[in-house]
Amino acid sequence: MTTQATLPIDDTQRGSGARTHRRKKAAPSPERVNWPATTILVLCAVTVLLPLYVTVSMAFKTQGQAVDGNAFSLPAPFSIDGFVQAWTLTNFPVGAAMSLLVTAGTVLATIVLAAFASYAIVRNWERRFFRYSFFYLLGAMFIPFPVVALPQIQLTGHLGLDNPFGVILLATMFQLSFSVLLFTAFLRSIPLELEESARIDGATTWQTFWKLIFPLLAPMSATVGIFAFLYAWNDFMMPSLIISDPALQTLPVRQNLFQTQFSNNYHVSFASYLMAMAPAIVAYLFTQRWVMAGVTQGAVKG
Amino acid sequence: MESVKATRRKRLAAMVLGLALLAGLLSGCTGTPGKETIRFTFSKREAIGFMTKLVADYNASQDRTEVVLDTSGVDVVSASFVRGNPPDVALANYNMETSRFVQRGALSDLSGTEAAGRIRGDLQPLMDQYGSYPGRTSALPYSVMASSVIYNKEIFAAHNIAVPKTWSELIAACEALKAVGVTPFYATWKDDWTIAQGWFDYSVGGQVDTIDFFKKLAAEGTRVGPDSSASFQKDFDQPVGKMLTLAQNYVNKDAASRAYGDGNLAFSQGKAAMYLQGPWAFSEIAKTAPGMELGTFPLPMTEDPQDLRVRVNVDLAAWIPEASQHKEAAREFLEYLYRPEVIDAYNASQLGFGPTKDSAKATDPRVAGMAEYYEQSRVYQGPSVLVPRTIPIMNYTQAIVFGASPASTLRTLDADWARLAFRQ
Repeated sequence: MTTQATLPIDDTQRGSGARTHRRKKAAPSPERVNWPATTILVLCAVTVLLPLYVTVSMAFKTQGQAVDGNAFSLPAPFSIDGFVQAWTLTNFPVGAAMSLLVTAGTVLATIVLAAFASYAIVRNWERRFFRYSFFYLLGAMFIPFPVVALPQIQLTGHLGLDNPFGVILLATMFQLSFSVLLFTAFLRSIPLELEESARIDGATTWQTFWKLIFPLLAPMSATVGIFAFLYAWNDFMMPSLIISDPALQTLPVRQNLFQTQFSNNYHVSFASYLMAMAPAIVAYLFTQRWVMAGVTQGAVKG
Repeated sequence: MESVKATRRKRLAAMVLGLALLAGLLSGCTGTPGKETIRFTFSKREAIGFMTKLVADYNASQDRTEVVLDTSGVDVVSASFVRGNPPDVALANYNMETSRFVQRGALSDLSGTEAAGRIRGDLQPLMDQYGSYPGRTSALPYSVMASSVIYNKEIFAAHNIAVPKTWSELIAACEALKAVGVTPFYATWKDDWTIAQGWFDYSVGGQVDTIDFFKKLAAEGTRVGPDSSASFQKDFDQPVGKMLTLAQNYVNKDAASRAYGDGNLAFSQGKAAMYLQGPWAFSEIAKTAPGMELGTFPLPMTEDPQDLRVRVNVDLAAWIPEASQHKEAAREFLEYLYRPEVIDAYNASQLGFGPTKDSAKATDPRVAGMAEYYEQSRVYQGPSVLVPRTIPIMNYTQAIVFGASPASTLRTLDADWARLAFRQ
């Protein structure tokens, strides 16, 4: 992609050095700015940056300043009272640990199980059982959690799964259909000959999968993982209904405490939201390259 | 081959280690040994500090029961009923949501408790309006919130305005305020609940006997309409008309775009003389104006001062689920909660009114204006909370203040009521 785009520019520069020289005289800046596009992009950036700015500045305000109606003002005096209150009210370390556990569990289980299922389905596509199980898995896309919430609550209660493990199990199940869809599409593009060569070298199915197919699936695994991460980290409804012991509750549910009809505690809420956002933002900063590649991976047919 | 085995062993070891960690994490959450642990649900955000201390005091005072405070909220409680492991005791807002548990007999009988004997008899209708279960006292009121007009004492004093006791005095006061350039009422119509809770409920409750009205309405059922003995279009027409008189002439110009938070801020800055909100707004106003002198008075809707009433709702009620495994311990804790010094301290801290016969009088100057009415049980329950949630009454009231025809909106309400009665 990138090499193709740069080639023509190289050509023109090499081919017509004189012309470029003349153009430089006419317009002093070497690169022309596309003003309409820049304006639109700046506006888009503002829609993200402004709320982020308000979140950060609000988190450091005092209670009195937080409700004074000037969301954009800088915190004066600077206060960390919001963080202190949010930390104790939500019991942040435990809440974050639970969120992390649920998220990590869901991401891992989703990637592994979806990859297993997709591999089995794609390589046995001609058999009816596998074809139908693919449709069966996809069928889950039509069932949103709220529809089955009531029986799920009862079921998890009976099975002793009314804890983070139950949430991991259910979240994985709901994430599975979309992930299988992504994986199967990707697997079809992997040539069968690669596998045959592994077989000739004496690899079992298990070995073929772990040594050959799974590493090849890495880009799609990243995509699936990112979707599962976003879902599990942000989900409110499922943990709130499934987890029965309040001590094991995840962060979003704990933060529900701040949404009351009669009182506004913006500084505490925003401090808490900021702390909850932090892991996701930090993770993004380090994995930006893969995230962007991963998200587009799902959008464009390979 | 050797390397494959090694990685496999490593993988297995990692799995076992992970499981062990998780098991340790979960088992670390059990209570103190030797004590019976009961779960106490309480999710009123403003009072969590108070309750945390109360629970700690109780746990220290005896060595049989360990109370665990659970602040995770309504959804979690509903789910726990479905699952069959509800909290052992709860202090929760008493509303249509709780009424489902009451009506289906999910809450145990509390009539034998000492606390039940001390509850004021005249509060029973407030509890019964949300339904009851035959032969049981399913819930006991713990804190009653009275709400009426909040007024800025400094503005009233500066312009020599007395607290109005009749409708004409109210209009005169509004005119007087308007003449000196003070906005009489601060309205926050962007939030529809503020209209239903304040404007609509105060206007209707000031004139109509709401308990009687809703009893008749329930009896009429599917026949509710222009010819029934009670209907919204007949009984609410006049109060809603008066509400519109106030709403059209004596509010801030930007009322339609102001939300509850904006209202608290504006009122704390002295931008209006009166505010139709409940006592929960006091702590919000105090965030920006801690020393402001505020008072309360019932909104007069008739020419007879004897008709003055305040709107009440049971902010907190105590209940013990039938499915609880620790009913005895829970009852013991419930009796502790109802000890005069405990319940009085709670209600004083939250500006609520005590439901027991021996409860202390409310002394905070901000709610003292309503104490007299509460003591004499001159109270009503807001009509907006008595309409089932399926009927979007808040949106209807918002439509009315935004200019929809009151007559046709009230007719719609009648039709909705009849349709709902038909379905049930």
